[in-house]
Amino acid sequence: MSKLVFKGGLVLENPFPAKEIDLIRIPLPDRVILPMQQRIGEQAKPCVSVGDHVLTGQVIATIDDDRCAPVHASISGTVVAIDNQVMAHQSGLEALCVTIDSDGEDEWMDNSVACTENYDFCTPDTIYNKIRLSGIVGMGGAGFPTHTKVQFAEGCHTLIVNATECEPGIMCDDALMQAYPTKVIRGVEVLLHICGAKKAIIAIEDDKKESIKLLKKFCKNERITIEAIPTKYTSGAEKILVKSLLGIEIPSGGYASDVGVLCQNVGTLVAIFDAVVENRPLISRVVTVTGSAVREPKNLQVRLGASYDYVLSFADIEQGENDIRMAGMMMGVDLEGTNYSISKNTNCIFVNKPIEKVPAQECIRCGMCNTVCPVELLPQQLYWYSKSSNIEKALDYNLLDCIECGCCSHVCPSNIPLVDYYQFAKALNRQQTKEKELTDNARERFEFREFRLDRNKQERAEMMEAKKKALKEKMAKDKVQKEAIAAAQARVSAAKTAKESEDAR
Amino acid sequence: MRDKVMNTNQVMRQVIYALVLGVAAQVYFFGFSVLMQIALAIVTALSAEAFVLRMRGMQVAPSLRDGSAILTAVLLAIAIPSIAPWWIIVLGVLFAIVFGKQLFGGLGNNPFNPAMLGYAFLLISYPLQMTQWPSEFQGVLSIFEASGVDALTGATNLDYAKTQLMLGESIGAITFESISQMWINFGFLLGGIYLLLRRIVFWHIPLSLVLGLVLMSGILYLIDPTSFSSPVFHLINGATMLAAFFIATDPVSASTTPLGRLIYGFAIGAIIIVIRVFGGYPDAVAFAVLLMNITVPLIDYYTQPKVFGK
Repeated sequence: MSKLVFKGGLVLENPFPAKEIDLIRIPLPDRVILPMQQRIGEQAKPCVSVGDHVLTGQVIATIDDDRCAPVHASISGTVVAIDNQVMAHQSGLEALCVTIDSDGEDEWMDNSVACTENYDFCTPDTIYNKIRLSGIVGMGGAGFPTHTKVQFAEGCHTLIVNATECEPGIMCDDALMQAYPTKVIRGVEVLLHICGAKKAIIAIEDDKKESIKLLKKFCKNERITIEAIPTKYTSGAEKILVKSLLGIEIPSGGYASDVGVLCQNVGTLVAIFDAVVENRPLISRVVTVTGSAVREPKNLQVRLGASYDYVLSFADIEQGENDIRMAGMMMGVDLEGTNYSISKNTNCIFVNKPIEKVPAQECIRCGMCNTVCPVELLPQQLYWYSKSSNIEKALDYNLLDCIECGCCSHVCPSNIPLVDYYQFAKALNRQQTKEKELTDNARERFEFREFRLDRNKQERAEMMEAKKKALKEKMAKDKVQKEAIAAAQARVSAAKTAKESEDAR
Repeated sequence: MRDKVMNTNQVMRQVIYALVLGVAAQVYFFGFSVLMQIALAIVTALSAEAFVLRMRGMQVAPSLRDGSAILTAVLLAIAIPSIAPWWIIVLGVLFAIVFGKQLFGGLGNNPFNPAMLGYAFLLISYPLQMTQWPSEFQGVLSIFEASGVDALTGATNLDYAKTQLMLGESIGAITFESISQMWINFGFLLGGIYLLLRRIVFWHIPLSLVLGLVLMSGILYLIDPTSFSSPVFHLINGATMLAAFFIATDPVSASTTPLGRLIYGFAIGAIIIVIRVFGGYPDAVAFAVLLMNITVPLIDYYTQPKVFGK
């Protein structure tokens, strides 16, 4: 077996292939809504106020938490609101956002700490800070801050550039590579310069022939290889990719950095290039608009914070009630309506004609799911225990190793939304762990208090004992002294009497 | 957008279609009473399922449409003698559906193979009616007639061999004039191969079951060919192929890990031989399957595949 082929997974064709994979830059939106809450970690704190005039690329929110990235204005204009807006998430929860109305000028902030073309002369630290201050996060969809990931991977030996395009239907990476092949290569060079890896591998699925050709043409660096890997879904999952390319299996519960590998999405590398060489923070991204209601799928270069409606107005969409899904058909989330804005990890919007939902049937344990699971779990067993909230057993069946790729749900003959159950079980596990921690803490505190009270009591008792003893000793001593005094007195008086009687005689 | 190979209803339907050849062979040798048994079983199964589902306050139509009750009914109907009186199959199916399946929570929740539970229930309760098979080519026998027409009925080869052995004959001297068993098994084998090709059944259980059966009977045959039947005899007699492809492979009650399926199938094959040879019943599939059903949670737990990164 070729090392590039992994167990499980699904060979899925792009359901809505595009005739041309062009990158279309759409005009500036009139308004952007930028969320302060990013994928994980704390919420960024706005450092502008309503009414302020901001420039494109100006920092509008900062944060101390290292797991987060600062937020920049993606257009120039006026801050009109800092309030809660609904996020593009199944939960429909709201989060703090900064709304900017465009002045139509797109006037850029002068960020003068550029490294420019000669980044070789910059120390890795300088570039690292540049990346951190440019608000770059993983552009593949996970949205993990790039500087943190680079920091974790200190001392790594290989840099893997994930250009596999994580899910069928999404084409934003392909479009980006075809539009900016040199930026990709330069971005890899910049990252190689700072992360210390000896070599870099750009992994592209073999159905993206044009991108492979272009990158090979522009890559003159012998430290960078371009590897075409078989087109099979979940090939882009970090663990699977590292195994396919290097034959290294990331240990359960570990990360690529644990085996000396740094993985970065190709979009992230373009963002790094823009930040380090062209001095532009992360203010735009490529979004694929596709789906059964889209006549011709498009890849649009969009300013962050632009509304879905605005972005979708540039795609040829059939009228009617359509279903919106953010990110891929496998791992994406279904959304209510289009009242959202593009965030740093919005790689794709599916606009689908509504289809009749097939009701889920009972699991008959047919085992189709475990033949497609790329991490070789037993989804049917996990389902059974997740459904009955038997978290302990689900953990026994390695619940936490599930990468939620959705292959199992995809092939399930009973149409069971399996991944939803695993997410539920994981959430329940987190909650139980937290509760257990709290009760453990409470118990420890209680036990320590008991111990402390006991100890105090004992100490006091010992002290009393010691005091008593001291007192007794003192009394005994006093008694001896008194007796001695009495004896002395007696002697004296005896002597006196004797003397007196002698004197009398 | 969701391109599925097959949904659960289609899976059930395919399994029923795959039974056609074996059933056709049964009809050819035993007459149309086979079909009557099947029809009666299906009607009973659907009625029982609908009744219990209504009592449980659940939607009746989707469950009836999934085909699982029909499959259970058909499997039980072809497992019992075609000339058994009508109430045998009705009782058996009622027990299978109500006690074997619905009381455990319906499709997907039954720890035991419902058809085999029904079969075991019948075999223990009505041993006489359950062991009287028609002789070949006796034409249509109405299942509503009183049975026990001794001239027309006979024991199966497995039964015959056992009886003759008890009477002190050696295996070599016992002749098997019936070819019906062989053709019926062949029919189920072809249906089973169809299921394998359609990827409805994984190869693990049928292969390991046959392997277990051949190995066990082979060892016994090598020890003493005069008192034990050959592996070939066991392969083409009784419900061997039906068990290998249609009964032991019931995914709900079978082991679900790749290695577990191998162990499960192998053990069923071996136990079938042990019960056939040393036990008191003519065939052993039901008991072998039910015995191994019990062990499934244990097998599954200890045969988990190596997870990525562990």
